[in-house]
Order: sequence, then C-alpha cells, then structure tokens
Amino acid sequence: MKKYKYILLTLLILSVTACRKLDIPPKNIIEDADVFSSSAGIQAYMARLYSELPIEDFRYSPQRGLNFFWIISPTPATTGEALSRDQTSSMQENFGGWSWDIWGGSYTVIHDCDYFIQTLPSYAKNFTTAQVNAWLGEAYFVRGMTYFGLVKRFGGVPIVNKTLNYVVGTSTDELKVPRSSEQAVWDQVASDFDFAIANLPAVNTDDADGSRANKYVAAAFESRAMLYAGTTAKYNTTTLFDANHNELCGMPASLANGYFQKSYNTAVMLDGVYGLYLSAWSATDKNAQYQNFVNLFSDASSKENVFVREYQYPNSVHGYDAYNVPRQLIGPNGYSSEVNPTLNFVEMFDGIPKNADGTIQNLNSSGQYNLYTNTMDLFANVEPRLRATVILPGDVFKTQSIEIRRGIYTGSASAGINPLLPAGSRSQYPTGNLVTSSTASQTPYALPGGTLMNPAGLSGIFTGDQTCAISGFSIRKWLNPNLPTSQVLENNETQTWIEMRYAEVLLNRAEAAYELYTAGQAGTINYQQDAFDDINQIRSRAGATLLSNAGAMTIDSIRIERRKELAFENKTYWDLKRWRTFAKEQNGTIYRILMPFYSSQTGKYFFDARTDERNDVYTYDPRWYYEQIPQGAISKSTNLVQNPGY
Amino acid sequence: MKRLFYYIALCLVVIAGTSCSKIDNYPAPSDTINGSTIDEVTGATVQTEVGGGGTRVELLETSYSSNPVPIYFQSMQDGTFNNTKVFAATYKVSVQGPFVPLIQTDSVGNVLTDSSKTIVLKNTATLNFKVQPFLRVEWVGKPVFNADSTVTVQVKITRGTNNPNYQQPITDVNLYVCNTHYDANNNYDPRYSTLTSYSGTSGNSILGQVITITTTGGALPAQDVFFRVGARINAVYDEYNYSTPVGLTYP
Repeated sequence: MKKYKYILLTLLILSVTACRKLDIPPKNIIEDADVFSSSAGIQAYMARLYSELPIEDFRYSPQRGLNFFWIISPTPATTGEALSRDQTSSMQENFGGWSWDIWGGSYTVIHDCDYFIQTLPSYAKNFTTAQVNAWLGEAYFVRGMTYFGLVKRFGGVPIVNKTLNYVVGTSTDELKVPRSSEQAVWDQVASDFDFAIANLPAVNTDDADGSRANKYVAAAFESRAMLYAGTTAKYNTTTLFDANHNELCGMPASLANGYFQKSYNTAVMLDGVYGLYLSAWSATDKNAQYQNFVNLFSDASSKENVFVREYQYPNSVHGYDAYNVPRQLIGPNGYSSEVNPTLNFVEMFDGIPKNADGTIQNLNSSGQYNLYTNTMDLFANVEPRLRATVILPGDVFKTQSIEIRRGIYTGSASAGINPLLPAGSRSQYPTGNLVTSSTASQTPYALPGGTLMNPAGLSGIFTGDQTCAISGFSIRKWLNPNLPTSQVLENNETQTWIEMRYAEVLLNRAEAAYELYTAGQAGTINYQQDAFDDINQIRSRAGATLLSNAGAMTIDSIRIERRKELAFENKTYWDLKRWRTFAKEQNGTIYRILMPFYSSQTGKYFFDARTDERNDVYTYDPRWYYEQIPQGAISKSTNLVQNPGY
Repeated sequence: MKRLFYYIALCLVVIAGTSCSKIDNYPAPSDTINGSTIDEVTGATVQTEVGGGGTRVELLETSYSSNPVPIYFQSMQDGTFNNTKVFAATYKVSVQGPFVPLIQTDSVGNVLTDSSKTIVLKNTATLNFKVQPFLRVEWVGKPVFNADSTVTVQVKITRGTNNPNYQQPITDVNLYVCNTHYDANNNYDPRYSTLTSYSGTSGNSILGQVITITTTGGALPAQDVFFRVGARINAVYDEYNYSTPVGLTYP
C-alpha cells in the first residue's frame, strides 16, 4: 500500500514540473534583437561585412586568393610589372587554391547584406533616422562591392537581393537562381552604389578614418565599377547567351557611353572633397617630390585616402615587407625580393636616356656599353615617382645603398666594351671574363688595385639563388622605411592598405572623359581638356614631364599613366583584363631586365639590357577574360551555365 | 592464451576476406566515342595542340535532361580523338577548336546553324566532323639546316573558310622549336622559336605567299629537334592552326 503512495507522489511531482515551459529562446545563440537593438551590435555586424569585402589587398594573390597570409606568387608578377621566383607565367585566378571561396563566400556576404537590409527597419525605433539610413547605405555599399567582385571575374552572375529561405523537405528548385545577364549585374552594382551615395553621410559618423564608407567612397567605387563596365562593353569580343537569350558574357557596345558617363559623373563628385597628397611636395625640388610620393602610402592623415583597409596585431596582419624587402635587408624568417620590377615597367617612365623605340639607352653610338662611375648615374634625372616606386640599383633605402650587380667583367676595356651577347639573344652570359656568385655567401674578387670586391651585389644578382633582385630592380612602393629589420617578419605587419585613393579617381575620370571624347560625346563639357587636366595633375605631383597639349594625348598615354601611378597596387591585373589587352601583351612574352656589371679594368659600371635570363614565357589565354565558374557551384545549382571555353 | 590468439587471427582473416566483397554494382563505363575533325576541303585532320588550348569534344547527355551539364574531352594533337570510357546513353556531340564553330548564333543568341551530331551510344561510335579551319598552314619543302646551325623553314598559309565572320586578319605566325613532337604554343623552347605578331590588317599580306622563317638565338643545340608552325586569327578562343610537326636530325 505504501508502495502505491510513493508511485502516486512521484507521478504528482512529475506532472507538476513537466508543465515548465521549455520552449524558450536558446541562451547561447545571438538573436536578431541582440544585434539590431544597439549600436554595438550593428558595429559587430559591420565589422564582419567589411572584413569580407572582396578587395585585392596585401593579402591577395591570384594564386591563393583573398585574405591569405602567404603572398609568394605576387600579383605584379602576373602582369609584367615584375618578375618573381615563385610566379613565372601568366595565370588566371586559381579559385581551387583559395581558402576563401570566391563564389560561395561572396554569396554569403550578399546574404548577410540582404538580411541586414530586411531586418534593420523593424528595429529602427532604437536609432535615429540618420543612423538607420547610413547603415543601410553601408550594407548597399558592401553588397555593390561584392557584386562588383563577382561581375569583374565571371560576367553575369545570379542576382539575389532577398534572403532565400529553404524549408526542409521542399523542392530546392527555387534556390537554383540562374545567372542574370552581365549588363543586369553591372546595373545592379550601379544601383547599389547609387543607393549608398543617396543615403550615406559625407563623413561616416562611426569611423571617419576612411575604413568605412561614406557618400564619396561609394561614388569613387562607382566610378571604378562603371569604368570597368564601359571598357568591357566597348572592348570585349566574347559572348555567351543562355537559352532565354540573356547575354551572360558580353554586352552591346552601345552601352559603353552610358557607363563612361556614370563613371565620369561619380568621379566628379569627389572634386574638392578629396585631393592629391602634397604635404611634402615642392614644385622645384625632385627630392621633395620623391619623399612626398613615399609618404603618401603611410600618412594616415592623407587627404588622398578615400577608402582604406586597416590591420591590427595580432588579429589581422600581413607580411608585405618580409616578402619584398631587398635581399640585403632580409628579415629574420627569410623570404625577401619576391617582387622585382621589370625593365619594361621602368621604361614607361620619364627621365631615363632612351633609344628611338623607347628602350633604355645603355650603348653608345658605336654600339659599346656606356660606362658609369655609380649605378645611379644612369638614373640621375629620373622621374621622382619611379624612385618612390622601384628601388633602382644603388639607390638608398633604410640608410643603406642597395647594391645590385650581376657580376664583375674582367675583360679588356681599353677599346671600349662590346655587348656580352648579340642583341636579342636569350642565351646565358658567356662565362669567360666574368666573375659571378651563385649565392649570397660570396668569395671576394681581387681588383687590379688589390682591393677586394664581391662579384655580386648584396642584393644580388646570384646565379643559383633567386632570392635577390632577379630583374636588376627591387620593389620600393609600400615598403615601410621605419620598420626595424628584426621586425621584418611574416604575419607581423599592420600597415594600412589604401584601396581607393584620389589619384585613381582622377585617372578614372580622365579615362572615362577621354573615351567619351573619342566617342564624340560633346555635351557642355570639353572632355578632352578635362582628361588632359586630370593627367597633368597626376604628372605634376609625380614630378614627371607634363603633357604639352591635349591634342597630343591618346588613350595609350592615359592608360600608361594609370599603370605607372597605380603600379603594384593590384590594379593593373584588372585594367589589362578590362581593356582586353592582356592576351596581346602576354603573347609568348619574355619580360626584359637590366643587369649592372662592374668592369674591373675601368673601375666603372655598365648595364646590359636583355630578356629574363630564366626565359620564363608569359602567354595569357583570352578565355581567361571570363573566369571559370567553380565546378562545385554548378554541381549544386545546375541552372548555372559555365563560361565559354571551360 | 594461445587459443585466444588463434581466435583473433581467425577473426582478422575472416574480416579481411569478407571486406573485399564488391559493393559497386554498376559496371564501369566501357563504350567508346572516337573520330576526328577533318578539313572539309583537303580531307586532312585539323592539327591542334594537346591540353586545354586545343580542339575538344563536347558531350551533352540528353537521356535524362534537356539542359545537361556538358562533358568535355580533349582531342589529340593530330585532330583525332578517342575516349573508351563513356557510358552508353544518348549524346549530342560536337567539337570546338580552331575552325568555324559547328553551332553558330547571331548577336542576340539565336542558333543559326547547328552541325552537332546526336548519337545513341552503344559499344562504339565513330564520328568524323567536317569543319572549316580558320587557317591552313602547309609546309613548302623541308626544313633546312643552315651553315650556322640555325634552321630555315618555308610555309604557306591560306584561309580555310569563306565565311566572312571568320576572316579576321592574321595576328601571329610562330615557328616553334621543341625537343618532342608535342610542339605547340603551350610547349616550345623560347630560346630558338621565332614568334611574329602582326597588327591591324598587315598579316593579310602573307596569305597565300610562301613565307620563310629562320630560328632565332643562334646555333641549335646538338640534338634532334621538332619544328611546327602555328598561325591564328582573333576568332572564338584565338586558338592556333598548326602545320604537322616535322622532326629533323642534327647533322
């Protein structure tokens, strides 16, 4: 009997406690209300969106993708700007090797923007209207940037402007969004940026340091995107249609002028708000112009910085200096000299003695080498911007003279020195009369006077070890002159990346204006004069020779100016793509180098200009203008049509 | 103890024996698609390069979907192809390469012509596609060794099509030197090969002419070498049309 009482009691206890409500919000999952009710929550959401912005910064290479620490196949070594021991040919982006999936990752960002745009309005009562509008503007900005990152790679991609909700057990067909036409995606980019321009304030109230968008940031990127769209419409020849006649790759050429007009209009919006950095500049002092161009990349207060990406130790870091310092300033964990500018790049600049065909003049009128006391004598009158971009042999960096020497020529020089190889030869240098070094541990050579000299310079060139200035030049741009060598380490640097600077806005404006001018779009503005003024502003700051008159300008002078100004900023790769000139420039191409030699008989230097000693051939396949859509994405969504040729 | 040991060993033998039983109960693909791309005028196969930059065969398996994901395989260098690991099914087959496309569309994506072939594959299907190459590159005589150990070749380049949409000017004529007969734009010795680019319409002047090309970079190394001439126009994927590869013994 007692037993029944106990059973009854147990049942009673169970029935009473069983009614406790268990369906409560989980305590360990962040809910919408936690995020969207406070500025701190919004800040956290924004931090993610911005960190996933697809920009080609210090942590990008075509080989390993976005947000990757190891940059030993640098972008400039794919474009002809530079040679590198680890990147020896043309390449398309290697999506398979990316830790960040460009396709799935971009759509995650787009989803996060869509979610933000849909959800924030229901929590608007917690904030001022200005705050809500600004944040919505930022979400549209990030989404526009992400579509831009996709369309410049793939052409038309699926447009997904609301979050897709999958109910388990139902058909997945409606998740398989097909690709839109390329034109529709460029228009989507424009409309997202337009929304951002209309809703963002002139100064971002959360962060005014250029790391978050404001009205003008969105305008600057719209000018870039629309320039890409315009040139693609004008110069592209690849087309791809889906079964419904959507043009997934390619656009009617008639759209070009509309895009150029948008690019021009948005670029003009920044007029008077941002400006070229001129803090240390002087019209008459080349050294000041050089120093000014160097400082531009490290001065946080620069009014030229439109949009930047900041890093922070130890959470978000890069190793630019470790990979790129000249060999003699190598950091404790190795690397150095990954980016070695080509002679083709250096020859674009003014102030170097040149032959009629634009190549460097290293021979005298009788076909023998010119002799120089110092290697820098050849570059005595060089454009200051080149010195700030490239370390020339013998120039000073971190108080050291950067010594670049291919070897010591011991042959007779009494009747002048003839070229070591016939013009155009791709053979190895003859070994007679030449003392060289295969590695950085050198055996000094006794010169006729008895003094000892290393065969190669401290920064190369070493014949058996490519950890040196293999092109005869080393990279200068972005290097931090104040970073102690002990700190030149991978994953240790926090120097800010400038993704958009006012110089690019001017160059966008000049190119768009010139394209409008050549297309006969007159209007109220003299586009030719506008382009001419923009280019001369850039050239004046660079210390280059000014263009004499607007009539002498061509589309090539504008493009070359862009390549010089924005070199080594991971922009040329996209420019060569959108101009559709990549395959023309890299067509069995072997890039040129400049090798300094010391003549022991004369005590002077001479330079030999030749093709890359390694004979690395660059050939760009024109089908790479549209990248291959990752096979995994097509397997998941079979409505996606692959780009042509893959 | 010993008995336990034997039991364990016996168990392992049983497991090892049974784990090998076959569970992949579908037969491997074993049917064959072979054939060639043939110049419809000369009847010769259209030379191409191995790897992604040359002719390839496209299979659309229409048995289960009207809009299937295409399957591709590459042609061999001599313009023939052979795939012996294909599932039996219905395929729409076409080829893509340095010749007038089998499927042509207008500027808004309407299909104008479609010469692809639909087959119901059972055992073996042999498909010969008659195509119009953009260019024909033909040897004139044999490569000649010069006194300075360079080599001079003569070729004639003519158009393979009358279709005005595929008569763009010649952009490149290259003499490739290589130490194997897989000698093409993706595989050559840059020290000795002679690459010539033409801008604008200047390349049209060599059409139908006997042109003479000599290797660059001085004396060739003392080994057997192969020569091949490639030429292209800016059409479709800018692929090269090639001559046949010719080997030469070092004298």
